[in-house]
Amino acid sequence: MNRFTILVALLLLVSGGFVAAQADPITVQARLVHGTSKEQKGKMRVPAALKKKLARVFKWMHYYQLNSKQLNIADATTKSAKLSKTASIKVTNRKNDKIAVSLYSKGKMLVQKTQSLRPGSYMVLAGNAGSDSAWFIVLSKSK
Amino acid sequence: MNENETELKVQALVDGELTGREAEDLHERLESDDGLRELHERLTAMRGLMTGAELPRTLPESGDFHWSQISKAIEREERQAKHMARPASGANWLLRWVLPLAGIACLVLVLSLQQTTMPDLDILLGSDHEIELSEDEIELMTFNTGDDAMSVVWLDYSIDLQQDSLQRWLD
Repeated sequence: MNRFTILVALLLLVSGGFVAAQADPITVQARLVHGTSKEQKGKMRVPAALKKKLARVFKWMHYYQLNSKQLNIADATTKSAKLSKTASIKVTNRKNDKIAVSLYSKGKMLVQKTQSLRPGSYMVLAGNAGSDSAWFIVLSKSK
Repeated sequence: MNENETELKVQALVDGELTGREAEDLHERLESDDGLRELHERLTAMRGLMTGAELPRTLPESGDFHWSQISKAIEREERQAKHMARPASGANWLLRWVLPLAGIACLVLVLSLQQTTMPDLDILLGSDHEIELSEDEIELMTFNTGDDAMSVVWLDYSIDLQQDSLQRWLD
C-alpha cells in the first residue's frame, strides 16, 4: 500500500469522525401546558397522545395548551422561546442527538437539563401552579 | 353601711372574724354608739354561755351496719385471693394471645391490600438525569415513564402562566 492510499484513508477516517460528531439540524416543539382538575371551556386542549401520557402520571384530568413554539435549531446553536410573560426556554442542539434545555423565569435560570430526545418522546419540565393545578413545559422533537 | 350589715359586723367581731383595721374601726364605733355597744355586749354574753355547752353529736351507727361492713371486707379479700391464685382459663388465654395476634394479622392484611391497590404510575425514579441547577437551591424530582417515552423534571417552583400580550399579538 503506497503512501497516497494511506493518506486518503486517514483523511476519510478523520472527516467521517468529524461528520459523526456533527449534530443535524433539529426541530423542537415547546408547549406551555396548564394541567387542572377543572374543565375550562374555550381553551385549546393538548393533543390526545400528549394528554394520555400526562394523565397517566399526573393527577390532573384536563391539559390546556397555553402557548406553543417551534424551534428550528442548527448544529451547536441555541434558540430561545418565550412561553409566558415571565417564563422562557433556551434549547441547544448538541451532538449525539442531545438537546440542552434551560428554563428561565423572570430572566433567571432555574434549571438546565440535557438529554437525548427521540421523535415521539417528550421532555417535561413541570411544577405546581397555584391550587390544584400545574404548569408543564413539554418539549418534543419532530421527525 | 346599713344597719343589718353593721349588726353582722358586730357578730363577726364577737366571733373573732374581724382583724386589723376593720376591727379597730368597729371598736371606735362601739364606743360612740350605745345601741351597737349593747348589741355587742349581748352577743358576747350569749357566746360566753354557749361556749362549752354544745354536746358532741355522733351519727348513730347500728351494730348490724358495723358487722355487715366487716363481712363485706372479708368477702372482698377472699375474692381477691382467689383471683390471684386461679390459673389462666381458656377464655383468658384467648384474650391474651389470640386477639392480639388476630389484630396484627388484620393490620398486615390491610397494609398488603393497600400496597396492591396503589395506582401503578409506571414511572422509574432515576438519578442519571443531566441536570444543572441555578444557585437558588430549588427542590426537584426527576423520573421517566416506564416506556421511557417521557422524562419529567418536577420543580418546586411556580411560574407565571400569564401570556405576554405583545408576544401574542406578534404571533
